[in-house]
Amino acid sequence: MSTATARVPAPAGSRRAAAIPVVLAFFSGPVGLVTKIGLLSLSNGLAVWAAYVLVDHRNWVALAVLAAATGLIDYVYLARRRTPAAKFLVPATVFLIGFQVVPIIYTVEVAFTNYSTGHIASKADAIRQIERVTLEPPANGKSYTAAPARDAGGNLVLVLRDDQTGKDYVGTDERLTALAPGTVTTGALGIASAKGYRLLKGNELFSLDKTLNSFVVPTAGGAGIRMQGLSQAVELRPTLRYDSRRDAFVRTRDGTVFHDNGEGSFVSATGEELEPGWKTFVGTKNFGSIIHNSAIRKPFLQIFWWTFVFAVSVVFLSFAVGLFLAIVLNKKGMRFRRLYRSAILIPWAVPGFLSLLVWQGLLNDDFGVVNRVFLNHVGLNVPWLFDGDWAKVSVILVSFWLTVPYFFLVSLGALQSIPDELVEAARVDGGGPIQIFRRVTLPLLLVAVSPLLIASFAFNFNNFNNIYLLTSGCPCDSAGGIAGSTDILISYTYKLAIATGKGQDFALASAVSIIVFLIVASISAVSFSRTKALENLA
Amino acid sequence: MSTAEVSAERAVSVPARPRRRRKLFENWWRHLVGIVALVVSLFPVWFVVSAAFDHSDSVSGTSFWPNIPTLANFTNILHNSVPDKTFQGHVDSAFGRWYLNSVVIALLTAFFTVILGSLAAYAFSRFRFRGRRTGMLFLLLIQMFPQLLLVVAIYLIVLNVGGVFPVIGLNTYTGLIVVYMGGALGVNAWLLKGFFDTIPKELDESARVDGATPGQIFWGVVLPLALPVLAVVGLISFVSTLNEFAIASAILQTKSHYTLPVGMRGFIDQQYGQRWGPFTAGALMAAVPATLLFLSLQKWLVSGLTQGSVKG
Repeated sequence: MSTATARVPAPAGSRRAAAIPVVLAFFSGPVGLVTKIGLLSLSNGLAVWAAYVLVDHRNWVALAVLAAATGLIDYVYLARRRTPAAKFLVPATVFLIGFQVVPIIYTVEVAFTNYSTGHIASKADAIRQIERVTLEPPANGKSYTAAPARDAGGNLVLVLRDDQTGKDYVGTDERLTALAPGTVTTGALGIASAKGYRLLKGNELFSLDKTLNSFVVPTAGGAGIRMQGLSQAVELRPTLRYDSRRDAFVRTRDGTVFHDNGEGSFVSATGEELEPGWKTFVGTKNFGSIIHNSAIRKPFLQIFWWTFVFAVSVVFLSFAVGLFLAIVLNKKGMRFRRLYRSAILIPWAVPGFLSLLVWQGLLNDDFGVVNRVFLNHVGLNVPWLFDGDWAKVSVILVSFWLTVPYFFLVSLGALQSIPDELVEAARVDGGGPIQIFRRVTLPLLLVAVSPLLIASFAFNFNNFNNIYLLTSGCPCDSAGGIAGSTDILISYTYKLAIATGKGQDFALASAVSIIVFLIVASISAVSFSRTKALENLA
Repeated sequence: MSTAEVSAERAVSVPARPRRRRKLFENWWRHLVGIVALVVSLFPVWFVVSAAFDHSDSVSGTSFWPNIPTLANFTNILHNSVPDKTFQGHVDSAFGRWYLNSVVIALLTAFFTVILGSLAAYAFSRFRFRGRRTGMLFLLLIQMFPQLLLVVAIYLIVLNVGGVFPVIGLNTYTGLIVVYMGGALGVNAWLLKGFFDTIPKELDESARVDGATPGQIFWGVVLPLALPVLAVVGLISFVSTLNEFAIASAILQTKSHYTLPVGMRGFIDQQYGQRWGPFTAGALMAAVPATLLFLSLQKWLVSGLTQGSVKG
């Protein structure tokens, strides 16, 4: 590709026209064909590999989707003279569906479930887990010195010595058998050897960690012997019994029945809940709890309100100041104009995440530069990030600092595009500078800038970085609750689902995401109906 | 101010000095505003530079000038040998690695989104086919749903897909890049479609008359013409990927896999009293190239940004 082609932004000129045949020839020859064949083989090769993995995992649904998609892609690129548009659309469509559409659908799905810590697995898994975790030693439960081993046939067994009686046993996953005295010798570290059995050591032992964890030697009364650590075993029995006919757990001790409550948990009549629960559909419960559950509603409404306040103040302040700077500095022949301009653009050009982390240091209330170097000299010490209200002010000010340059640039462009004749005409008609600004300049400017104001509002409405990297949404109430005073909806969502020490609530987070989407979508819809975006659809 | 204006002013600068001085005086309030804006914009930068070259490790030691000038902060963070004040030994960091991760991930994301985005944009701009209107409405709708909102679903999907295909699972660069690509495509395709519409169709026509296939026209005619625009869209994508924190922090799990935002936040979080010096040195090294790139392309960026995308 010639550099002449690259440099000219709008098509015109003869040098480029001369370059086109060269480029065309390059792509029409064997190079284009080889590239096409190469890319297609690559995609098919990947598909075959993925199919192989999916068969291995017995994931038939995914396999069917994969086969259909691959077939479709091959058809689009190999079939003669079908619509060429499809060839251009397929690559982007694959990624859009995979990483944008599927997540959207999944978000909606999760929002109607109870997917959260304690409700992760399927019901069958939950039942199995409850049976495993609710164990207790029986009345005269035994404990053993133990070692995992392999018998002559290579089967996994436990070699056991009763800690009280000193008798030796071998346990398989079917039964416990007594061993002749003298078969087993012990040393300082437990069982040292067992005739006829090969004790497991080192890597072999560690690689069997998972198997050993679920290895049970059944004994009388539904109890079983399990390893505890690497050299001890104990006899335990479940305290709860699953009754598949009634789909309920029964506590052996007192006969309490735990029923499926329809919301992913086994619950007794007195409200006692077994853990873990399982993932299931709960209808609109998440949305309902945002409205009805005061523990969720109160922080949610606060955050909701603050999100609007934050976005509106940032956009309004930044635009007002950006416009002011543009007007003041848009003076022909003024000295140092370029210097001021470049300086104002710096906060916009520096990667935002760095500025935010730096500001967190500058605003530190004891040691921060702002307090120590500037404010303390006039007797002030502002708790910038440690007081809820001041933290809100800080978040707005820092976001303002980051956003002003954008509106400065935009306003400068818009101002310069307003024809001088219009302003001149207004002056001739006797308008004062303020009148001209209000009646001529501002209305014209707003026409150009208002879609950007709306876009910026939508952007700041979800400005995760500006909140999270400056305050993490905090100061947070130490009494509990995830919400902090500077959290906006999106950072609240993130904390609910991902960054929290209090368990992950994917379902509630998804429900909040959907609400945020509806708000942003309506804002965007208003914006689009007022701009030409929809006309472009023609 | 155009260069012509500047040189004209310079040419007459000697005889015009009194007039110039009067102009400076006349515009004194404009200069006052300019100076205030300059100071407010640059003072954080000033203190970061001062802290980066200063001996003190704490934000409390930062002052207008470095107290004891040193380069130790730079060498320490580059060699991952920042002394740990609380425990013995070094802070577990991997600045060079984070830097490389960020640049590579952002470059690949930008490159692939531009290619895939322009393919789609070209189809919407040039072909008339069944479902075109629906497709574009769909694109418009999709790009309204910021990927950030999907972070929960994306985390869960990557977690589960990773169980089957570890290559794109949690803690992989490939996983993160494909996720970013899905997120950036909608916006970029939409932006690029607008630009492609401004390239005259006659160029395509004449190439077609010469016997070129749609593929050849795209790669050989349209793409070279749109190169400056591709660069702008690529840069916007590069910068927003570089700044992305939420999804990266959800997907990347081990320190050596972090990108700069995730790594640097983990490095400095709650440690402003102890790691401020090396942090500012790192921040400076990360910010300077990005800032220069951004400023130098700023003219082209504005046109791209006013078309719809906003950078913080």
